[in-house]
Parts: sequence; C-alpha cells; structure tokens
Amino acid sequence: MKRSDNSLLGRAARYFFLYRSFLAHNLKNEMIYRANFAIAVGMDLFFMGVNVVFFAILYANVETIGGWTFHQTLVLVGSVGVVREIAYLTFRQGFLELGEYIRTGRFDAMLTAPMAANVHLAFRHVSLTESLGEGLMGLALVGYGFAHLDGAKWTAIPFYLLMLINSLLIYYAFCLLVNSAVFWLVKSQELNTVIYYFMDTARYPREIYRGLGKLFFTFIVPSSLIATGPASVLTGRAEPGLIGLSLGVAAALLSLALAVWNWSLQHYSSASS
Amino acid sequence: MEKLVHMSVIDVKNLTKTFKTHRKEPGLLGSIKGLFRREAFYNEAVKSVSFSLEEGELVGFLGPNGAGKTTLLKMLSGILTPTDGEVRVLGFVPWQRERAYQRQFAIVMGQKNQLWWDLPPAESFSLNRDIYQVDPKAFRRTLDEMVALLDLKEILDVPVRQLSLGQRMKCELVAALLHQPRVLFLDEPTIGLDVISQEKIRGFIQEHNRLKRTTVLLTSHYMKDVEQLCRRVLVINHGRIVYDGSLAELSERYIDHKVVKIRFAAPQAAAVLSGEAGIVELDEHHAVLKVKKKEVAQTTHRLLGLLPIEDLSVEEVEVEEVIRRIFGEEP
Amino acid sequence: MRKYWTVFWVNWQNALQYRGPTFIYILGNILRVAVLLYLWNAIYRDEGRLGDYSLPDLITYYLLQMWINSLVLSYSSWEIVDQIREGTFSNFLVRPVNYLHYWFTINLSWKLFEGLMIAVIGGLLSFFLVRHLSLPGRPETLVYFVLALILGGILAFEFDFLIGMLAFWLVQVNAFKYMLQSIIFFFAGALLPLDLFPQAFQAVATVLPFRYLVFFPIQIFLEKEAHPVEGLLGALVWAVAFYFFLRFVLRRGIARYEAVGQ
Repeated sequence: MKRSDNSLLGRAARYFFLYRSFLAHNLKNEMIYRANFAIAVGMDLFFMGVNVVFFAILYANVETIGGWTFHQTLVLVGSVGVVREIAYLTFRQGFLELGEYIRTGRFDAMLTAPMAANVHLAFRHVSLTESLGEGLMGLALVGYGFAHLDGAKWTAIPFYLLMLINSLLIYYAFCLLVNSAVFWLVKSQELNTVIYYFMDTARYPREIYRGLGKLFFTFIVPSSLIATGPASVLTGRAEPGLIGLSLGVAAALLSLALAVWNWSLQHYSSASS
Repeated sequence: MEKLVHMSVIDVKNLTKTFKTHRKEPGLLGSIKGLFRREAFYNEAVKSVSFSLEEGELVGFLGPNGAGKTTLLKMLSGILTPTDGEVRVLGFVPWQRERAYQRQFAIVMGQKNQLWWDLPPAESFSLNRDIYQVDPKAFRRTLDEMVALLDLKEILDVPVRQLSLGQRMKCELVAALLHQPRVLFLDEPTIGLDVISQEKIRGFIQEHNRLKRTTVLLTSHYMKDVEQLCRRVLVINHGRIVYDGSLAELSERYIDHKVVKIRFAAPQAAAVLSGEAGIVELDEHHAVLKVKKKEVAQTTHRLLGLLPIEDLSVEEVEVEEVIRRIFGEEP
Repeated sequence: MRKYWTVFWVNWQNALQYRGPTFIYILGNILRVAVLLYLWNAIYRDEGRLGDYSLPDLITYYLLQMWINSLVLSYSSWEIVDQIREGTFSNFLVRPVNYLHYWFTINLSWKLFEGLMIAVIGGLLSFFLVRHLSLPGRPETLVYFVLALILGGILAFEFDFLIGMLAFWLVQVNAFKYMLQSIIFFFAGALLPLDLFPQAFQAVATVLPFRYLVFFPIQIFLEKEAHPVEGLLGALVWAVAFYFFLRFVLRRGIARYEAVGQ
C-alpha cells in the first residue's frame, strides 16, 4: 500500500485527485438523468429572469442603488449565479442530501472511509447540471454588465476570479456551519432553506446596509460579501478594505465552521443509534 | 531483556454504550410542554463487554435483534464513541478515525447499500480504489480474484439498481475487500437473502479468510451463518456477552435438539401424540415438537408412518431459545 | 364537522413537534424582509423614489407581505401531488371525508399556525419600526383589511388546490407547479407592488384574481385602494366561482384517477 504524503501539498494533491474521480463518476451518473436537465435549466433561467426584472423595475425609477448603477448590479446578480453553479460543482448537493444519508445510514460509510467526512460528503454528489442554468445566465449577466460599464478594465478579471474563490469559501463555510445542526435536529430540510435564504440575500449591493445590519450581514450572515466582493473588483469599485475584510471573514468563518462540524460529529458519534 | 508484548488484533475491555433519548407526553398540552422540557430516557445498548481477537480469527457474534451487535460493530469501526471502556483494533483507537486505521479495515452492513445505485458496480469499485489509494495493478489482481470466486463477471457492467439483492450483497463485499483490509466487520451480511446467495456468501467469506488471513467479526441472528463459518462464537444478549467459546461446545451444551413442525392432512385429536415427549404446540391441525438431534431421523420417520401428515419440516432452534437456555431459567 | 376539528388540532401538534425547523423558518423570513427593508431605505436615502410610494409605505408593504405570505399563501399542492402520484389518495376515496374540505382544514391549520408565529415576530419588528410605518387612519380600513385577508386566504388555497389537481393529468407536475406558483406570486404583488410594473403588465394584473392575495389587502391597509368594497365583492365572486370549479375538477380528477387504476 502506498504511504500517503501527509504534507499540506500532498493532501491537497490527493483531494484534487479524489475530486477528479468523484466528478467523473457523478457526471456518468448525471448522464443517466438527461431528461430532467432541460426542465432544470428552464427553471433556473426563469428564476434568474425574475431577479433581473425586479432590478429592471427598480432602476426604471432610480439611477443608482447604494451607489451601484444598473449594469454594475447586473454584474453582482450574475456573480451570485456563477457562485451557485460552482458551489453545486464542488459541495452544495452533498449538504442537501446529508439528512437522508444520516437517516439511511449511508453517512456512516463516510465516517469509515479514509477521507475527511466533510470532503467525502461534498464530493459524493457533485453536480454539473443542478444549477447550470443559473451559472450560464449568471455568466451572461456578468458579461453583459461588464461590457456596458464605463471604464471596464480587463485586468480586473483575474482578481475577480480570486474573489469568486474566496466567496465560495465563505459559502462553503456557511453551509458547513449551518448543516452541522443536522446532527442535533430531528427534521433537517429547513436547514437548507436557511442557506437558500442566505444566497437570496446575497443579491444586493453591500452598500445598502447600515449600522447593525451591516455588521450582521458581514460577520454573522456574510451574504453581503459573497457577490459584492467579486462584483466590486470587476466593476472597479473595490477598495482594499473590502477585499481584506472578505478574505478575513472567509478564513475566520471556515475555521469556525470546521470546529463546529467536528464538534457536531462527536455528538453524532455519541448520540446516534 | 526484551519483553515481547503480544497484541491481539482486536482488544476490547469493559466497553459500554448508553443512549439518551426523549419521551414526549401525548396530546396538545404535551406538545407545548415538549417545547420547553422533555423527559430523558436511557438505553444501555452495550454493557461492559470484553473480548479479544487474534489475527485471522473468524468470529461470530450471535444474538437476537436489539442485543447490541450493531452498536458494538459501530464502536469498533469508529462510527460511535463509547460511553466507557477501551478498544484497540490493530493498535488504533477506532473513534479517533485515523486514516491509517481506516485504510486497514472494512465494514459491510447487511441491506445497507454503499454502492452507487445507478452506475455499474465496476464504477463503485474504481472509486473505492481511488479513495483507498490502492495500487492499480494490485487492484486489478484482487478484483479479478474475487470476481472469479463469486462469479460476478457478467454483472460488473450492469447498473446496481438492476441487480438482485444477492448480487448486490456480493458486490458490496467485493467493494469492501478491494483494499485488502486486515480486519473485516460484517453486520448481518446474509439478512434478507435467498438460500443460495446466503451459501455463496458464506463460502466466499470462508475462502477469503482462509486465503488472506483477514480477521473477521461477523454478527448475525442466523445460526447457520455462525455454524458454517465460525469456530468461536460470542453470544450477546441485552448488551452483555453471555458466552464466549467454541461453537462446538455451544452446540453440544445448549443446542441438543431441533424443531420439528408438522401440519396434519386431516384434523387430529390431541391424544394421538400423547406418547411423544417434547411437544411444544399441539392443535388439531398443527404440531411442533422438540426432538433430540440424534433422534430426528428416527422420530420423523416414525411420525410419518403413524399420522396423516401433509407437511413436515425440520428447523433450527431459534437464537432466542439458545439464549434462554444459556441463561437457564431466565425468560 | 368534529373530525375536521381533530384534523386541525393534530396538525398543530405536528407543527409544534418540530421546534427547530419552525424557528429556522421564521428566521429565514426575517432575513429576507430585513434585507428588503435595507434596500428600500438605501434607495430613499439617496433621494430616490419608487412610484407613488413613500418609504413608510414601502416598509409597511413588505412587512405586511411577509405576514400575508405565511398567513395566506398555500403550499398544500406539494402534498396533494404526492398523495395523488403515490396512490395514498385512494385512502380518501374510501373514507367519509371530503378531500377538498379536508385540505381546506389542514391548510387553515397550517396557515393560522404560521401566521401566528410570523405575526408575533413581525409585530415585534413593527414595534421597533413604528415611526417608519404607514398606519391606517380610518376605522373601516381594518375591517376591510381583515375581510380581504380572509378572502385572499380562501382564494390562495383554491388556486393552490387547483394546481395540486394537475397531478391527476400530468406526470411531471413539479416543474410546472413551480412556474405556476411563481406566476401567481408575481401577479399577487408579492415580489413588487403591482403599480410599479409597466402598464401592459398592470393591465393583465388587474384582470387576474391573484391581486387579491397580497396586493389588494395591502392597498386597503395603506388606504390607497379607492374602491375597497367593490374589490371585496369581486374577490368574493371569484372565491365562490372557483369553489364550484374546483368541485367539478375534483370530480373529473377522481374519475380519471380511478380509470387509470392507481
């Protein structure tokens, strides 16, 4: 048996390799359910469309919201879609199924396999098609908004991508934190409703918040950073303060989430039957 | 002088597991009260269990449903943490879930499906290969061996959902053994399977244990599983081990008879079997008798000649009965 | 009649059992509304204005919308579809229970429970924001408002029940259901007040009965509704007409259900 490399790089490489394997298997699985694909994409487009109409009507009445123009807001709304699709490609679906895995005893298999349980959960069901409509439309909105900006800079794009990754970490940390409650509750579907609400509130520019609200939506429910962070960078609105804040929140939330998850796993290990 | 310390593969000392659940009072008032305070209720699933296994042993845990077998396995595989006691498997503490430990054992639970439902077993196998970091050449060799042993060549590319329960169970076993674990935990592996599949699986486990010297801990409530596979058996009831020893002795000491069930072709008066010893049940249509193992052939032959019998079957004594006998008078 | 009471109470007990999820549901609602309130605040702070609405109008609109959502909007169709698709609907055919009335009772039970929860929280929020609300000045407004809520609740249930009936004829009901529910949501004024939409849209919205679910009651509360009584009568007519339509559809649905032999 191969001795595994336990350094950080070694582990990262191993998990990347594992992700590839899980992704391949999941894609094969998805091919089997092709029929639902068209419907899912249709629904995604519809809901994103509603989102756009909402802002279109608002912007028919005002020039800026929190200092954001219509096109800048489109970049923001689109970024949410992109983040969601990448989330589904990396971890989202697993959390949705966690409750069922625990109920059927499937989750125990994730505790006995030689990989971190939360990563196993994440990779078990990565999905390309689940949110593809949102991802594509999100990308289109970002592109469209970006193209219509005054003073759009192509150099902002790599930083945009980095901020997207940071947003994903925040999203993941939040999902992990909230879903840890699954080990304590009887019924768990509502947990993912909270997360859905969370992403829902990410669709607005951070500048609309004031005072307590600002603190709340930055540190407790960091949805204000998820789309505003990357979108700010791409639209040239970003200040180092915001970027630093986003990175800091990501790191802190991730640490907290992992700690709570592990603690909750311990509870599961001592309480479940 | 160097002291050689002998370490068993599995070492369990005073293992205890107590679960805490809640009870709700009935009615609407009870529901509202339940929002604020609930009554706690303790269930002692495993009570101070101790035993050890050496390398290559194939041991059976026998006990009725709810005896604590599954809870025990879950503690040995690291899924549950115990309330009290010590466990070492291959030198590791299971619930610390160290990768090094996880790569060396496997657990299969009967009727719990770990394979990907819509994909062929071959896909699940290759995924496991990646998860357990098995060398591709070794993987191929091991897979071919087991496929041959279990005759799975045809179904490797059939989606798991289209397989029968027996075929699925075989694949689950293969998936679990691909990384050549040193320890194998099997929880009711033959439950719900048809007779032929049960035999095939028992045969496979036996062969695998013989060839690879895997230490196997098997739980079951079927006597047949244990009879065929295990030389040593531990009987567990109400969370306690009530017997730990050879199966032969258990058989001899506690199971000296079989159960003969008869259905009459025409209603019979009770007096008809008045001479018989060991009658458990008797009415005008049925009779159930306990017959000493040595006398089964003789007795059934005699009864068949004596009475109009439509159907006669000879069955194993139920585990519950064995447990009862071990306890003596305890119900 | 007694059996419906029991259904009502058992459902409440059921709801009380799940304290965790109920709390989360309330939290999610608060989050959603809080963000929107910040949005309106940001717009008006920057000297913007949405149509005919003052900031207090808008804040009141959305707080009411949050409450009305939980009190009025029905989600019975999810289970109805399951019952029809999975065949448990058959149980209702053999028991002396009217399916429509049964679901009306369950829905009422749920809605009152949710409505009560949200009312408490919404009430607290409103208490803190009372300076920023548009409260009605005339006494008859509240009477009209309550009547509008009742009619809205009945209509919401009827629309949702009708959507549930689709399961008798369609296999892939869920996606379709989502879209229909979204359209109703849209035209009810739950996303944005109907009079902020472009003219063409408003024309359609006036003709459809969905405005009675959210927009109409809120307009009454904000005292922006010029003809509350006419509106209420209109809603009543729709409610009654729909009731008979539903009975008809249910009969046809049952016939089809039996024919297909679930």
